[in-house]
Amino acid sequence: MKARAFNYVKASTVVEALKAFEDAQDDASYIAGGQSLVPTLALRLQAPQLLIDIAHIPVLRGVDLQGDWLRIGALTRHHEVLTDPLIRQHAPLYSEAAPHVAHPAIRNKGTLGGSISHADPASEFPAMTLALGAELEIASRDGVRRVPADDFFLDLFQTAIEPGELLVAIHVPVVRPGHRWAFHELARRRGDFALVGCGILAEFVDDVVKQVRIAFFSVGSTPLRARQAEEALIGKKLDQAVIAAAQAVVGDDLDPPEDEHTPPAMKRHLARVLLGRLLGEIARQGA
Amino acid sequence: MSFEINGHSFSQQPQTGQCLRTFLRELGHFGVKKGCDAGDCGACTVLLDGEPVHSCIIPAFRADGHAVTTIEGLASEVGIHPMQQAFLDAQGFQCGFCTSGMIVTCASLNQAQRADLGASLKGNLCRCTGYRTIEDALDGKSNVEDAEPGAAFGRSLPAPAGPQVVTGKARYTFDVAMDGLLHIKMLRSPHPHARIISIDSSAARAMPGVHAVLTHADTPTTLFSTARHEIDAMDPEDTRILDDTVRFIGQKVAAVVADSEAIAEEACRRIDVVYDILPAVFDPAAAVASGAPVIHPDKTPGHRVSNAIRNIVAETHGEFGDVAAALASSAVTYEGTFTTQRVQHGHLETHGGIAWLDAGGILNIRSSTQTPFLTRRALAQLYDLPSDKVRVFCERVGGGFGGKQEMFVEDILALAALKTGRPVKWELTREEQFIATSTRHPMRVTVKAGADKHGKLTALQLDVLSNTGAYGNHAGPVLFHACGESLGVYNCANKKVDAVVAYTNTVPAGAFRGYGLPQTLFAVEAAIDDLAKQLGISPYDFRRHNVIKPGDPMLSPAGTHYDDVTIGSYGLDQCLDLVERAMEIETKHDLDDDWLIGDGIALTMIDTVPPQGHIAEVVIAKRDDGGYDLTVGTAEFGNGTATVHRQIAATTLGCSVEQIHLRQSDTRNGGHDTGAYGSAGTFVAGKATHDAAQKLVAAMQADSNARSATGTSGGTPRSVAFNVQGFRVAVNKGTGAIKVLKSVQAADAGAVANPMQLRGQIEGGVAQSLGATLYEEMVIDDRGRVVNPKFRDYHLPSFADLPRTDVYFADTYDAIGPLGAKSMSESPYNPVAAAMGNALFDATGIRFTQVPFKPDRIFPELQKKFGKA
Ligand SMILES: Cc1cc2nc3c(=O)[nH]c(=O)nc-3n(C[C@H](O)[C@H](O)[C@H](O)COP(=O)(O)OP(=O)(O)OC[C@H]3O[C@@H](n4cnc5c(N)ncnc54)[C@H](O)[C@@H]3O)c2cc1C
Ligand code: FES
Ligand code: FES
Repeated sequence: MKARAFNYVKASTVVEALKAFEDAQDDASYIAGGQSLVPTLALRLQAPQLLIDIAHIPVLRGVDLQGDWLRIGALTRHHEVLTDPLIRQHAPLYSEAAPHVAHPAIRNKGTLGGSISHADPASEFPAMTLALGAELEIASRDGVRRVPADDFFLDLFQTAIEPGELLVAIHVPVVRPGHRWAFHELARRRGDFALVGCGILAEFVDDVVKQVRIAFFSVGSTPLRARQAEEALIGKKLDQAVIAAAQAVVGDDLDPPEDEHTPPAMKRHLARVLLGRLLGEIARQGA
Repeated sequence: MSFEINGHSFSQQPQTGQCLRTFLRELGHFGVKKGCDAGDCGACTVLLDGEPVHSCIIPAFRADGHAVTTIEGLASEVGIHPMQQAFLDAQGFQCGFCTSGMIVTCASLNQAQRADLGASLKGNLCRCTGYRTIEDALDGKSNVEDAEPGAAFGRSLPAPAGPQVVTGKARYTFDVAMDGLLHIKMLRSPHPHARIISIDSSAARAMPGVHAVLTHADTPTTLFSTARHEIDAMDPEDTRILDDTVRFIGQKVAAVVADSEAIAEEACRRIDVVYDILPAVFDPAAAVASGAPVIHPDKTPGHRVSNAIRNIVAETHGEFGDVAAALASSAVTYEGTFTTQRVQHGHLETHGGIAWLDAGGILNIRSSTQTPFLTRRALAQLYDLPSDKVRVFCERVGGGFGGKQEMFVEDILALAALKTGRPVKWELTREEQFIATSTRHPMRVTVKAGADKHGKLTALQLDVLSNTGAYGNHAGPVLFHACGESLGVYNCANKKVDAVVAYTNTVPAGAFRGYGLPQTLFAVEAAIDDLAKQLGISPYDFRRHNVIKPGDPMLSPAGTHYDDVTIGSYGLDQCLDLVERAMEIETKHDLDDDWLIGDGIALTMIDTVPPQGHIAEVVIAKRDDGGYDLTVGTAEFGNGTATVHRQIAATTLGCSVEQIHLRQSDTRNGGHDTGAYGSAGTFVAGKATHDAAQKLVAAMQADSNARSATGTSGGTPRSVAFNVQGFRVAVNKGTGAIKVLKSVQAADAGAVANPMQLRGQIEGGVAQSLGATLYEEMVIDDRGRVVNPKFRDYHLPSFADLPRTDVYFADTYDAIGPLGAKSMSESPYNPVAAAMGNALFDATGIRFTQVPFKPDRIFPELQKKFGKA
């Protein structure tokens, strides 16, 4: 199929982009890397009249440390997420997930902000955003606000970004000594969207779990935190029994949709297997 | 906007909405290929400022001010790029359609990326090779040999088109710019079964740039089959070019011919069709039950539809001996029901073509087909044209695998060219490929088998229900073939077949590599394996004991009987020995005890030519430069016949292959060739080449002025070829994940014309079949819609998904085939699912009866047996 013959403007500032969107009376799309958007245009799942290119807006770029927060510009490409030393040091779950996202040619174009805005429930980065406890900086005609990841992913492909708003940057609280983390996904084949995937960030004090964020993807209409499993861990040492207790409740945390290929029971089972592996890995990191 | 493409800067405004791929192709960079529309296949890979990107998902305007390098720009003035040379040395391609993108990606890899090719090449799919030769290219290996004059046969000579393929200069079907070219887009049925009450195309016709809208009112009502066979009587007459009844979602309803694809597509949206929706049936068992909606109520046995009221297009029933009695008195018996899914060929070049009328009034069709001659015949008949007024030809074809043994597009192309008098092009999208071309026939196969206590087979019975979808192209022949060699390879006094192929309101099934055998072998070879296990006999010995030997008749109660098959050479014993020896070698691994490990084998026999005639005529003529023009009809779509034909001719004429100038697959050049299917490229067409060359040698000896000779082959008598596949697999009890630890295939292809190419055919066949065994499945929902018509959701295997297969050849010389050679492009596919099923059984003790063996599919049974992980 052919995309609709759209118009195209390059925005060089956030304000310009927001205004262009408003002027188009919402019949517009922002294009970042285009790696999710262009296929949907070609398949006519979307047919905006105007494409607003945000790839040249300087404030959407760059990775820098701001006190206890790492600011990652929305336009940071997957390839940069994979290789950037600051991200590796301060927001390591993004780096660990990056090799699982698509393949090099796509990672050369796709952006972190695009992936988070697109909010595919099977995507790695949105879930890691949740696991890292990041905050999303969103610009609108009324100014800028920051939304915690826990309040950001609303439904299938729906986020707190209102039509016309722009995701400017992702702010990640930096990991500290005492933090441990792990990421893994189970896919039918390497490179497929995962059947189930999970990232965990845990804070330990004297080998006891003080805080933990467990984020799953591909198990519901949004990335999901496994709150009951988290609770089962808090205040505990990660031994076999505690891990088993978390595994026992994680099924209830998830909401896998009925799907032709993978029935919900299977997804829950795989999530248990995955959680066991990841917690085991985290336990070993303390040894 | 200003672009720098391959070092040249220029200004040009891309059309709005255009992707970089289309923009580059319009500028003549045809090396940039189109395999999909969603960034999934990598055929369109180019470098943007030195980084690989998929140009189909980059808006063209995005390249403004940037440097683009295509495959054509990789080479410098001094010569081709080292990566292009590496692909040439390793012959890292078959059809070559993926090659441009693959080379561009490979050329951009750094050391770290090269160390992890599974991840680095994830975005570049190859359907032909199984990736081993691509890895060889990256490792700097050479796979080619050379040959002295007269010694070409048996040597690993490179494909003649190699230099063009690796530089992006090889011309495929759509790689041509034509003035005044119009474009076709098809409006397709949204309903699985409906009668068309009316079509209002006035709004579409009124659009500027629309030249014609074609509906059933514009087409002859002649019934035919899209399947192409030498004898039309092999397939039912149940299809019209455009019908006033639609029988599956995706069926052609109206074609728009317009100045651009975009206009044609928009015009399709403006056509108003009123349907009378009819009840539909999607499940073949439901379709043959009484009271089911009837899909072709007006067809009769005269149309070669066996029982239209019961939705049965073809059937075969037969028995010799007494199976029930034999089973009752057998020491061991087995019964099981196996189901196979719907899979798609997935050749990277979609169906399509270009048609035009030339100054001489000849209708020319440049098409992506395996059967130019039979397609010409069908077009001449449908449109009542003298056959010398129709020319069908192919340039290089980007893969076929049986999918192009059909006439899916040429009928519409012809009509559009005739109506408008303009050149017209029609290129199917990847989605159309999935919803509206053809697939493998899904089958449900129940097998019953028995053996006595000495391990002698006593009974073999097959009960088959095949699903042909909405039309019966290839339905009968596939069914007969499925029940033929799978039973014929075993000596057994009592055999029975009841096989039926049903119409359903789903996308039609058609010809696909293996032609039914992979489906039935899945069941038969499981039964054989199980009987051996029950008796405590090794699976090798049990088979050795029961397979046919030279002199034995090859009997099956199915189908029509032909007595022109003989064992022209016999290497099945060698194949079993080779695989047994290879499997004895242990595999090192570091898997923990969550993984269960097992071995399995399966064998296959295949007739070297389809029954009822496969004809080839070949002309060799001496040239003034001392070389020869070799004119053959058969097409090259990656199967390697272009190489083999030159080898046969050069060997017989005592010259070098460079002196043989091949002219291929063009009806204008004369001769006739039934087509590049049924693995006939070497056995039939090659035999005609051999015949022509021998005749020319004899003629030149008799008269030094002799200039040319014609050779023929009628495809009869036929011989048989054999393959044995072995797998060692590991299965994870907790997740259902499967790892292939070892893959071995031994093949008896007679004298091997080109060892490198034969190995490639075998590896590619195993790879394609592993896709169907482990991953691929077209899912059809309860409304008859294909829910995953995209590569992203369909899962063609990528580099990381495939093991390397060790290939062994039996040492035989066929009494019938040219220079002792037999055919070998389909059968490597056939035993793969069966061998994998047997290996899984060996590993887990569970008999999995449904392919694909996806982790989520096999997991519930593992869970039941092995408890929680
Ligand atoms: C072959 C292939 C395989 C893939 N595999 C994976 C995979 O395994 N895992 C995975 O996670 N993803 C995968 N993807 C998706 C890829 O990661 C996308 O790049 C990513 O999801 C979107 O990023 P983008 O910059 O390309 O966004 P775009 O395509 O440009 O935009 C996507 C959507 O987000 C909006 N948007 C983008 N940026 C902003 C912003 N700053 N503010 C507000 N709205 C914005 C756009 O308007 C659009 O609606 C794959 C893609 C392809 C083509
Ligand atoms: S054509 Fe671009 S990825 Fe398939
Ligand atoms: S050679 Fe790779 S797709 Fe044909």
